[in-house]
Amino acid sequence: MSEHDLKPINIDQIRALLKEKEAGMKLRLAACAGCTLCAESCFMFMNKGKGQDPQFMPSFKVLNTLGKLYRKRGKVSRAELEQMRKLLWSNCALCERCYCPLGVDLPNMIAFARKILRSQEIEADGQQAPEKKEVSK
Amino acid sequence: MIIANRKTVEEIKESLKAYKKVLTVGCGGCTAVCMAGGMKEVNDLNTQLDILFKDDKVVFQINGAVVERQCEVPYLAELDEIVKPYDAILSMACGAGVQFLAERYPDKPVFPALNTVFVGVNKDIGWYEERCKSCGECVLGMTGGICPITMCAKGLLNGPCGGPQDGHCEANSEADCAWIKIYERLKAQGRLDNILKITPAREWQDQVQGSLVLDKFRDKYSKKETK
Amino acid sequence: MAVFLGGIAWRLVELFRLTRKRERVAWPTRNVRADSPAEQKFRPILSFQHSLIGQHPVMAVVSGLFHLCVFIAPLFAKGHNLMMRESLGFCFWSLPLTATDALTVLVLGGVLFMLARRLVIPRVRAVSGLADYALLALVAVPYLTGFIAYHQWLPYRAIVTLHMLTGEAMLIAIPFTKMAHMVFFLFARGFMESEHNVGRGDRVWSS
Repeated sequence: MSEHDLKPINIDQIRALLKEKEAGMKLRLAACAGCTLCAESCFMFMNKGKGQDPQFMPSFKVLNTLGKLYRKRGKVSRAELEQMRKLLWSNCALCERCYCPLGVDLPNMIAFARKILRSQEIEADGQQAPEKKEVSK
Repeated sequence: MIIANRKTVEEIKESLKAYKKVLTVGCGGCTAVCMAGGMKEVNDLNTQLDILFKDDKVVFQINGAVVERQCEVPYLAELDEIVKPYDAILSMACGAGVQFLAERYPDKPVFPALNTVFVGVNKDIGWYEERCKSCGECVLGMTGGICPITMCAKGLLNGPCGGPQDGHCEANSEADCAWIKIYERLKAQGRLDNILKITPAREWQDQVQGSLVLDKFRDKYSKKETK
Repeated sequence: MAVFLGGIAWRLVELFRLTRKRERVAWPTRNVRADSPAEQKFRPILSFQHSLIGQHPVMAVVSGLFHLCVFIAPLFAKGHNLMMRESLGFCFWSLPLTATDALTVLVLGGVLFMLARRLVIPRVRAVSGLADYALLALVAVPYLTGFIAYHQWLPYRAIVTLHMLTGEAMLIAIPFTKMAHMVFFLFARGFMESEHNVGRGDRVWSS
């Protein structure tokens, strides 16, 4: 196991990030009626998901990444973050074309979840998240 | 991001009139984000072409497929089996993607559905602006983040030409003079001495196909003999 | 009622507080890609195809009818209006009793459709939890008990009490559950900075 894998998740950092957009994000998560009408607007769902696999559906991706982060108040394991990584990067091109009849802006939420994962040095495949260094005042 | 713009449906139809079975291939990358060549645009275009050809009483079949990006071989490879029954391909990727696609299927006529217009930014939804000419010699550090190649009509590297009228470019009265903006930006940052240095004439490289191999991958490729 | 109205008001305030005014900026008039003549002719067809009813006709019709009846049935029910007039002095116009009955059946049909959808279609099941099913029950019960009460199939007093209690419960739950989409949807689509937005975009999400 590499050193990277053993590094603990900084839950406080995740919580701080979640708090920044808490009001808006929680409102959107609450408003999601689980109607799944966003599915057909996602080319990943239609292609890779063959028009059926929920793992590619926009609402599923958001509810199981950002939704999960809020539900668990940031208390997630590295394994859970790895699962989220798949949903956020492998299963989403962030082409920003997903549609929600209720007005939830899905791309925003995917981007925010990606930001949170990056803070824990989890990035898309083949990418390296930048090292965090303190900047002197 | 690469910004492209769909050709008119009339132009596209004209380019396809000799073909009976066409596959429209969309792209999930730049052209999806700028709403020119994503899945939705593939479907819309196919609807239009279908109806237009039917109105002409021409036998015409058109289908669509979307790949993540047309500029990467593994994603293009997904199309290998799919393209077989078609006698032409209509690509909704940027110029780079269209060419890659054409290279992969050299026996099939490939047509672009889009005009690739520039490297640019999303100012707002549906509004894109050019910011970069890919000149290969970025001077943004010197000019405080304003590109004189893109934003100056004459592409000047050493200050305004003496033609600006009321802060506007003498060649294009709608545009601001880039160098006045550069001056103001640098002044605000206390870096005016940047533009006191003379920038020498540059090697304009845009007549030659650009190519780049990253150093750490060099030994994967054999060296090509240069004449 | 107070909780319902207060809750809705709270949700609306929260919603608007999350938005900001958007400055309308002048765009350059050159290089606007306008529709060609053929493309102009296709606009209405394509708009329809991309609309909710074009993409999901069954869901749009069923959900539309359901939501419409959910509002109309209680607001214009004779029984409700009689009570309203007695306690407040005024009331809304009332529908004939058979009409309210029919609307209630449509509501219950809608709930059944949604339940079936949640159980049968895999992608809907994948985003359905206990809360979603419980909410369906919460919505169904007031309408069901109202229906039974009107037809007097079960002891009237008990059923009507149940009807009132579950009705109140449903109203109270609206602002605090996903039923808040009642107000959210009216505005949220206007706030998105996206191709799917509605309106001029004078207010947008601030985050």
